[in-house]
Amino acid sequence: MREQILAALSQYGSPALFAVVMIAAIGVPLPITLLLIVTGSLISQGVMNFWWAIGLATAGSVIGDQIGYAIGRWGGSELVDRFTRLLGGPERLEKAQSTARRWGGPGIFFSRWLVTPLGPWVNLASGLAGYPWMRFLVWDAIGELLGTLIFVGLGKVFSDRVLALDAMLSDLTWAIVALLAAVFLGWKFFSSAWTKQADDGG
Amino acid sequence: MGRPSQKLIFALALIVAIAGTFVFGFRAGRHARRIHWQNEPIHAWMSVPFVAHTHHVRPEVLYQAIGLPPRQPDHRPLRRIAREEKRPVADLIRALESAIANAPKGP
Repeated sequence: MREQILAALSQYGSPALFAVVMIAAIGVPLPITLLLIVTGSLISQGVMNFWWAIGLATAGSVIGDQIGYAIGRWGGSELVDRFTRLLGGPERLEKAQSTARRWGGPGIFFSRWLVTPLGPWVNLASGLAGYPWMRFLVWDAIGELLGTLIFVGLGKVFSDRVLALDAMLSDLTWAIVALLAAVFLGWKFFSSAWTKQADDGG
Repeated sequence: MGRPSQKLIFALALIVAIAGTFVFGFRAGRHARRIHWQNEPIHAWMSVPFVAHTHHVRPEVLYQAIGLPPRQPDHRPLRRIAREEKRPVADLIRALESAIANAPKGP
């Protein structure tokens, strides 16, 4: 799949870039970081125009993200019921919705460019949790623009080292995801232990 | 997180997350160190000008190595060239690698 996608980018340029980033943003696992890095390399070789590529890649990602959000928001009662059951009931869903309203913006923003594997899940969860659509769109567009600029820019600078750069960024992203998980789990684990200790003591 | 089994799952997940942070962080660092000196492997999705750019050789040298006249612009991936020329793509890649090894380095 990776070979075909990159061959399509090499051969057809911008239309392939737009289509692939849109499909990936909906949730299909495609090598988007590498695609954007290779786009940067093609720009440095004079094959593609920088701002045209940035505009199309950002637009494709934002449209794909909106589709993911819409599936969560208006995907039908069965999907909402399943999500409610997964969370543990309507009260939990209400709590999740209020948390999403409070913390949703930064979550959407950082999942566009820093922890990209979480992006499609955040889109779906934002829709399910009823995060306001206009705010979702604004955070999404800013994050996607920044992400596209970072990856295409890096590809332009390291235009002769695209595969090595992709390998490094991929491992770095997973290291950040694992670190965030460790911080979250550690905080949950120790706060629960301290609460229990305080209860026992008091 | 009241039950001991729940605590155990949480602790295990925490250990896996910490281990993942170190493993992926170490791998990222190793890739970063290699970025300056490791040559990019040639893949079937790359075009001849792309290979020339990543290996700092002139495209004409590579076209000559695979027995084709230079063409600008040429966005065809090696896979398509191989299909058009009725040759295995692995042969093309070998010919390019050999030409790169013997070519004077370009800009």
